[in-house]
Amino acid sequence: MVKYTIKRLLQTLVTVLIVATIVFLLMRMLPTDYFFTEDQLMKLTPEQKQEQLEAAGLTDPVGEQLIRFYGQILRFDFGESRRIQSGVDVVKVIGSKFTVSMRLGCTALVISLFVGVFIDIIQTINKDKLLDHIGTGYTIFVNAVPSLVSYSLVLVFGSTVLGLPSLYSTRNPGPSSILPVVCLSLASIAHYALWTRRYMVDELNKDYIKLARVKGMSFNSIMVKHVFKNAFVPLVQYIPTSFLYTIGGSLLVERFFSVPGMGPLLNDAIIRYDVNVVQTLAIIYGTMGTVGVFLGDVLMMLLDPRIKLVGKGETR
Amino acid sequence: MTKEPILSAKDVEIQFSLRGRVLSAIRKCSLDLYQGETLAIVGESGSGKSVFTKSFLGMLDANGKITGGSIMYDGIDLAKYTTEKEWMQIRGKKISMVMQDPMTSLNPLKKVGQQIQESIELNQGIKGPEAKKLALEMLAKVGIPDPERRYNQYPHEFSGGMRQRVVIAIAVACHPDILICDEPTTALDVTIQAQILNLIRELQQELKMTVVYITHDLGVVANVADRVAVMYAGQIVEFGTVEEIFYDAWHPYTWALLSSLPQLGLKGEALPTIEGTPPNLFNEIKGDAFAPRNKQALAIDFEEEPPYFEITPTHKAKTWYLDPRSPKIEQPKSIRQLRAKMEERG
Repeated sequence: MVKYTIKRLLQTLVTVLIVATIVFLLMRMLPTDYFFTEDQLMKLTPEQKQEQLEAAGLTDPVGEQLIRFYGQILRFDFGESRRIQSGVDVVKVIGSKFTVSMRLGCTALVISLFVGVFIDIIQTINKDKLLDHIGTGYTIFVNAVPSLVSYSLVLVFGSTVLGLPSLYSTRNPGPSSILPVVCLSLASIAHYALWTRRYMVDELNKDYIKLARVKGMSFNSIMVKHVFKNAFVPLVQYIPTSFLYTIGGSLLVERFFSVPGMGPLLNDAIIRYDVNVVQTLAIIYGTMGTVGVFLGDVLMMLLDPRIKLVGKGETR
Repeated sequence: MTKEPILSAKDVEIQFSLRGRVLSAIRKCSLDLYQGETLAIVGESGSGKSVFTKSFLGMLDANGKITGGSIMYDGIDLAKYTTEKEWMQIRGKKISMVMQDPMTSLNPLKKVGQQIQESIELNQGIKGPEAKKLALEMLAKVGIPDPERRYNQYPHEFSGGMRQRVVIAIAVACHPDILICDEPTTALDVTIQAQILNLIRELQQELKMTVVYITHDLGVVANVADRVAVMYAGQIVEFGTVEEIFYDAWHPYTWALLSSLPQLGLKGEALPTIEGTPPNLFNEIKGDAFAPRNKQALAIDFEEEPPYFEITPTHKAKTWYLDPRSPKIEQPKSIRQLRAKMEERG
């Protein structure tokens, strides 16, 4: 099992490295104008520009640059932002936004996990009855209606009826976070409710539930001792990934409530050719995705005894 | 065999509602079970063998229910039970069941020992280490070597036969009076089948259980059963001792079943099959349900349902052939020769 985990960890690292390389090489295909701020582009002569590029090593062969880039990654040096916040370390630019996104995201994740699973249990217990249909209705509504429409509904309801602040403010992060968090949770509650319900109903129809009933177990203890854990296993795989993605922030929600989070940052960085920021963000997102899958698999392995055996072999 | 039945089902009717239509799966079916006996219920798929016995422990699917008759057990009419709570008094403790597929009958994420222990803790009011001790004993009793180690393993670490042993251990952990085995060996390797049947027989003797086998393997029936009930279209059409059913059957459906025994086939000839299909249970059945597939059906078979005719005190068949007014009909030659052929083949 340890061997399998280490193997998967190495695979994850290789994947991240490949992502970094591809992103780096793609960025090198851009015209070098990105190195200068809009101001400098206007004022500097071509000779001056050439001089600065050479000084920064951007005229070296790509291979050499790539190796230097690897070295920088190892030292966690991601360079400076050129355009978004000129001359500021990229880590700092991202860092401040990161904390905001992470706080909102984590709250939303915890809420949606609990609420989603709770809704689902109610749905499963009342399968094909009114409460189940209401739950399914909610899921369908959230998935079918464009997010902006449901966000607007939350916004209107929250600000006019409940009097909550409609825009995020750093001076008042508590109350002004409520609406963004609700919006972030909307979809994932539906997601968790839908999938957990599916897995629970699947489990309930399995033969071992019949045997559990034959031996005289009550419905409630079957739910607690058998169904819940078994239904949770396939779901657990996705939790780390969704956790990591919440850190990434949501473009739509953060824009909608003017939250200074990570979501809009990538968009801005791309539009404004801030290469170092784009590069770093791409690496962060890539790492989150692969690490999420890796953690999900490890969690699954811890919960499902059948997977340990598979890990020893070469299949997977 | 005592004279008083341990369980007595009388005129049981079970209906399922499927997409607004009503299917009569069991039509006035009666059956007595006696202490310590082994009864085999045979019949083709869909004849209602499983449904009928499942109703003894309230395991019908949600859309099915007992709509008539009574199932008397220990002075209580089980047919009147409606809540899970009532059934929990019966299941496991009094009547238990082994299902067909051992591969799916165990929770894949729970140690097998715990799954047995769960049953013991639930029904015998013992908890913790004491229950574990009993679970280990149970594992040993069903012939699983090294129970201490096996207790902590998961179902995927067991072979099919071993899993079925665990399922049996769970089913009999609380010493039920009646054990229903719903095709317990169908999913298993032929070489394992005999072992499992032996195990069930040993446990039956030790725990003094009544065992009901549901099967379509007549070979199994001949091996294990004391009595046989033949089911067709939701009714028991004939029942009697193994001897009586195999060598002196009277219902044309029993004849058809027996003639299709592969053991009787001749090399190079196609095995006899029963032509046609069982009746659609959504429709009302008039007369003898088997008449449309019976080449020698009498006119009355299509008109009126036959009653049971007693052949011996233990043997009854539901066919007009036995009515003194019916024309003289002989048992088919293959049936008369069955004994000789079976003996010839050992």
